[in-house]
Amino acid sequence: MSLDAELLHKAVAQLHGSSVHHDLRQRAVEDLLTQGFPTTRDEHWKYSDCSPLLASLGARLYHDSHPVDDVEMARLVDVESYTLHFVDGVWDKERSDLPAGITVTSYTETTDLFAPDEESVLSQGFTSLNGALASGGVMVDVAEGLSLDRPLAMMHSSSGKVAHVRHQVRVGQASEVVLIEHFSGEGAHSGLTNVVTALHLSEGARVAHYRLQQEGLLQAHIGRLAVKQQRDSHYCSHLLTLGAAWSRVDVVISLADIGANCQLNGLYLLSGRQHGDHHIQIDHLAPHCQSDTHYRGVLDGRARAVFNGKVVVHKGAVKSHSTQSNANLLLSANAEVDTKPELEIYNDDVKCAHGSTTGRLDQQQLFYLQSRGLSESEARQLLTLAFVGEVMTRMNEPALRAYVQKGCFAKLPHPLDMNMEGFL
Amino acid sequence: MLTIENLHARVEGKEILKGLNLEIGSGEIHAIMGPNGAGKSTLSNVLSGRGGYEVTQGRVIYQGKDLLAMSPEERAWEGVFLAFQYPVEIPGVNNAYLLKAGLNAKRKYLGLQELDAMEFMSMVREKAATVELDAAFLSRSVNEGFSGGEKKRNEIFQMAVLEPSFAILDETDSGLDIDALRVVAGGVNQLRSPDRSMMVVTHYQRLLDYIEPDVVHVLMDGQILKTGDKSLAKVLESRGYDWVRAEARS
Ligand SMILES: Nc1ncnc2c1ncn2[C@@H]1O[C@H](COP(=O)(O)OP(=O)(O)OP(=O)(O)O)[C@@H](O)[C@H]1O
Ligand SMILES: [Mg+2]
Repeated sequence: MSLDAELLHKAVAQLHGSSVHHDLRQRAVEDLLTQGFPTTRDEHWKYSDCSPLLASLGARLYHDSHPVDDVEMARLVDVESYTLHFVDGVWDKERSDLPAGITVTSYTETTDLFAPDEESVLSQGFTSLNGALASGGVMVDVAEGLSLDRPLAMMHSSSGKVAHVRHQVRVGQASEVVLIEHFSGEGAHSGLTNVVTALHLSEGARVAHYRLQQEGLLQAHIGRLAVKQQRDSHYCSHLLTLGAAWSRVDVVISLADIGANCQLNGLYLLSGRQHGDHHIQIDHLAPHCQSDTHYRGVLDGRARAVFNGKVVVHKGAVKSHSTQSNANLLLSANAEVDTKPELEIYNDDVKCAHGSTTGRLDQQQLFYLQSRGLSESEARQLLTLAFVGEVMTRMNEPALRAYVQKGCFAKLPHPLDMNMEGFL
Repeated sequence: MLTIENLHARVEGKEILKGLNLEIGSGEIHAIMGPNGAGKSTLSNVLSGRGGYEVTQGRVIYQGKDLLAMSPEERAWEGVFLAFQYPVEIPGVNNAYLLKAGLNAKRKYLGLQELDAMEFMSMVREKAATVELDAAFLSRSVNEGFSGGEKKRNEIFQMAVLEPSFAILDETDSGLDIDALRVVAGGVNQLRSPDRSMMVVTHYQRLLDYIEPDVVHVLMDGQILKTGDKSLAKVLESRGYDWVRAEARS
């Protein structure tokens, strides 16, 4: 399904916003008209064919006139937070609960628009579509020197519509926040969440970011997370993909100044016919920066996962440290994964390591557990949880870790009466 | 307790056990000796239900039941325990969690009340002390980073917790230093009881000085070629195995 220029222009014309929005939209439209949507001939979309999605959405891709169904607002049970609610990407201003030091403006009302991360090699088709059509989303400003006592949660519920959402988060100098982006919603029809989140970390800022995607199985999810890090900033991402029939997330990190470091942890648990694609690009642009990527995936049924992690150490980015690993566990014969860690280095003074593995449950370990009295299904479950536990141990917020653990536990096939007390 | 009749078993199409017969009575300790590759571990694995072994003939009756028809976990619940020759490391699975889940599954199967966390921990601490295993091991991943000796000690500790009726010890003595051997054997001896039987696989007479067997068997050529009392182990130690085959043939 190719791009429909007429529908695109028509949809853009209906949007509100300032002249800054107008300019950005025009640029995005032009980009999109030149590039088009990615196809499987595009290196970074080789294993993820978006044409069936485009075909099924048709004109809804540009303008979705479906009425908004009632949706249940997602809650993070047992996690205390300041909360922003979004329905199909639209911020529900009335229900916000915000502390001093955090300023939130809706995307169409702010004039402080971040420049797009144009340097990324990852195909920009859906990002441009988002730039052209985004009406939902917010600008979040975190004041300098703020240390937020609770996480700031951005809770998204989808009613099954097509939503183009654009968030911008600027974290002031030496501030410290835990940010949650949660996506859920069990719509009656299949929609698309196309979300771009741009994060700017000022000097010395520290952000722990939980991006939890638990959308319904009729939904498609395309996300781009673009992080720009200033001097000595620290960014820790915990990315969880459990939901959506078809999902693609691009994480683009720019270590722009001396001493910036990032830790990217990821977990995808896919079953049935789910398709989940994660692409990461980290640019080391300055000296003394560090990046550590650790993604794990569990695939059951006929699920398909794609992992591509690329680290680019640019000229002048001396004393760079980078590690990258991706491990996959296949629970069924029909599950499939394509994994590719990549490294491009343009100077000598660096330390880098990367690798990926794909395997199945270890028969010897299974037998050992069974011989101690665990049923086969319990043993399988336990070994699978141990595999994903490796990522969870890196989550420093206990309430969020417990929430993620429960989500994973519920997603994995397990005996109903299995008692996880003491393991979690 | 256990009756093995005419047991034939294959691994990867190759016949390893070729008509093995063995009878172990309640409360008895039987030592199984035999050259490398004779099939001692194969026998241990077939009895505990490990996959990859094909039983082509024969049967095993355990406490009046058809053992070979049971899944590995059912065997565990019925009281069969295997102390592995090579205990596997399981990163991310906590020792205490495994034991509690295993023990409570067994108790449930037997219609007993499950132990709560408090009862379990105090019982387990006590058992850890009997094999001089530091309680800190409980919160570590199963066998991960354990030394060879610690792994074997952990096996006997698990046996003490799970209180089996029939325990198979596959070369629990190999890799142990003299002191550890004494500790492990002490742990085993504490578990000796009139309603608990054991099959102890070993290459060394030394272990049998500590754990005195009622009967010693020689497993060779896929069968029990000779059976005797504990003095047989001493003879094997000095004369090796060839004479056993020669005697059996004649
Ligand atoms: N998984 C397997 N695949 C192929 N052959 C196997 C397998 N397991 C065991 N065997 C073979 O079966 C035979 C018996 O092995 P087993 O481990 O039972 O011997 P063992 O008596 O325990 O020896 P050891 O004293 O060295 O422990 C050997 O020839 C071995 O190579
Ligand atoms: Mg052996």
